[in-house]
Amino acid sequence: MGLFSRLRGGKKKRVVFVGLDGTPYTFMQRLIAEGRAPNAARLAEQGSLLRMDSMWPWVSSVAWSTMMTGVNPGKHNIFGFIDRDPATYKQFIPTSANMKARTLWEVLSQAGKRVIVINVPVTYPPRQVNGVLVSGFLSPSLDKAVYPASFLPTLKSLGYIVDADPWKARESKELALQEVNAALDARIRTLFHLVENEAWDYLHVHVMETDRLHHFLWQQMEEGHPEYAPAFYDFYRRIDDMLGQIAAKLDDNTTLMWMADHGFCSIKKEVYVNRWLMDNGWLKLRNVPPDRKKGLNEIDPVSVAYSLDPGRVVIRLRGREKEGSVAPGAEYEALRDEIAAAALQLHDPDSGEPVFQEVFKREDLYHGPYLEQAADLILAPHDGYDPKGPLYKETLTFKGEELVGMHTFDDAMLYVGGRAIPQTRFSVLNVMPTILDLMDVPQPPGLDGESLV
Amino acid sequence: MEQKGVTVWFTGMSGAGKTALAIPLEKELRKRGLKVERLDGDIVRQSLTRDLGFTKEDRDKNIERVTFVAKLLTRNGVAVLCSFISPYRSVRAKVQEEVGNFVEVYCYAPLETLIERDVKGLYKKALAGEIENFTGVSDPYERPENPHVTIDSSAETIEESLAKILQKLEQLGYVPPAEESEAYTADEEAEVEARLAALGYL
Repeated sequence: MGLFSRLRGGKKKRVVFVGLDGTPYTFMQRLIAEGRAPNAARLAEQGSLLRMDSMWPWVSSVAWSTMMTGVNPGKHNIFGFIDRDPATYKQFIPTSANMKARTLWEVLSQAGKRVIVINVPVTYPPRQVNGVLVSGFLSPSLDKAVYPASFLPTLKSLGYIVDADPWKARESKELALQEVNAALDARIRTLFHLVENEAWDYLHVHVMETDRLHHFLWQQMEEGHPEYAPAFYDFYRRIDDMLGQIAAKLDDNTTLMWMADHGFCSIKKEVYVNRWLMDNGWLKLRNVPPDRKKGLNEIDPVSVAYSLDPGRVVIRLRGREKEGSVAPGAEYEALRDEIAAAALQLHDPDSGEPVFQEVFKREDLYHGPYLEQAADLILAPHDGYDPKGPLYKETLTFKGEELVGMHTFDDAMLYVGGRAIPQTRFSVLNVMPTILDLMDVPQPPGLDGESLV
Repeated sequence: MEQKGVTVWFTGMSGAGKTALAIPLEKELRKRGLKVERLDGDIVRQSLTRDLGFTKEDRDKNIERVTFVAKLLTRNGVAVLCSFISPYRSVRAKVQEEVGNFVEVYCYAPLETLIERDVKGLYKKALAGEIENFTGVSDPYERPENPHVTIDSSAETIEESLAKILQKLEQLGYVPPAEESEAYTADEEAEVEARLAALGYL
């Protein structure tokens, strides 16, 4: 080995990782093809821009928990934005306190690497790392989101904010654009400051604003709205500039990566799964409409199933669920089969299109010590049909004006700079092993995916 | 809730992770306010059964005495964590019969892994013929047919294995569930819920 290569080999390998929440692979390819993302185009030639699968259900809490732990939800215990205690029917928002697996940043910290992790979903309350962790949009306030607290003044001086205000964004499309652009300003300012002024081996900045923009404006972009479509592309021009500017700041030992945790499409209809369960006689409520404050306790004990967002169906299994009435074994299996078969037969009452493309039993998707906390069935919709979890709605479907975009499964994205990686079918489970590999950190036992490099 | 005594019996070949799991389990159970005693092959053989060797007869006697102690403790509401190779199925069945509240945890790792790990240097000696009756090398290990929990220390982290055991103990009512640390105050939770509702998740 020559002196030069020995010096190179001895250098610490670093990674800068940008989360682009919900930016579809196919959309990025279209931006590149249309000349709207010149930096991404150049970087794609110098690395690998890959299509990736998300994790069912494809909400950010599940997908990012899977990314950051390298294990399936049966091992990390995060199954959605909302969950319930089956014995009491008390509902709760799963947080990092419920996450049962070690995170990438904890593994890196233990290996002596310094990490800076900003704004990733389900990292509140912040767990200790060797470096800095700023929790994402489930944090109640910036003050409580930061580990160590000594980093708070730096963030405040950068004008950092936890999230755009989604209620303002619902008021009007103009306000939505203002909100996401302002939040992106703060994110980019912080990212550039950290790249240049802080010590790190792994730097992760999560951009939530892409997902927010899509929820409020995806349909307008697709339809070529005269005002909002250009604003949408302007926003992505800023994302592209950001990627180009970071890449320019990195040395040869640092790999640039970016990732989207799921894809996006326009909503044709929201689908209220609990309404459907009611219409089929599987769910009955004590009061109609139910008292919102009582939550799942409004479920009448004669019910055999209910749904949690998005498309998770829980069987009221005896011994697990409060006043559960379905016997384990044959009765449970028969009911699961019956509901699954019926879901595949559900069609949009207006267009006649099928709503669900596939129904998974939980053991089809997950394995591990927390499988028991998972819903019994996971309904996988066709793109355009957005399964929702309210306990009661008067109608089966609804098409709104405020939220117009929904997530998709097989159009997530991974970029790895400086490496030629063949496109195979892989999922968000492969991301953590790949990062560890790129940084020469051994894989801890029990990960569910393999490195792509 | 009054504590229900239980014997958690870790069985498996040398180096498969019995003690490595019993120690953090003891810590966690104490944290949850339980009375715990740990009976470990390596420790017991220096005291309670120091007169015994490793022939089948002596091994049976070793387990017999340990069982007696575990039974007394279990009967008095203690969680007893026993780590013994205990290679014979019939002997483990007898332990279960004696103590009543019994949870069998089978600790597994492939033999190649165990030989490679060889924490105590015993496999090297056994393979060189320096130790007679060494389980897995010159003596059989009968794997449990229906253990309550199976852990594979070559594929799982200690945290994962521990979670599996705790979950089983919770499920069987021997251990109260851990109190979830409250991530939010009531006001904060309402605030975050409102944000999720605005995004259509609630």
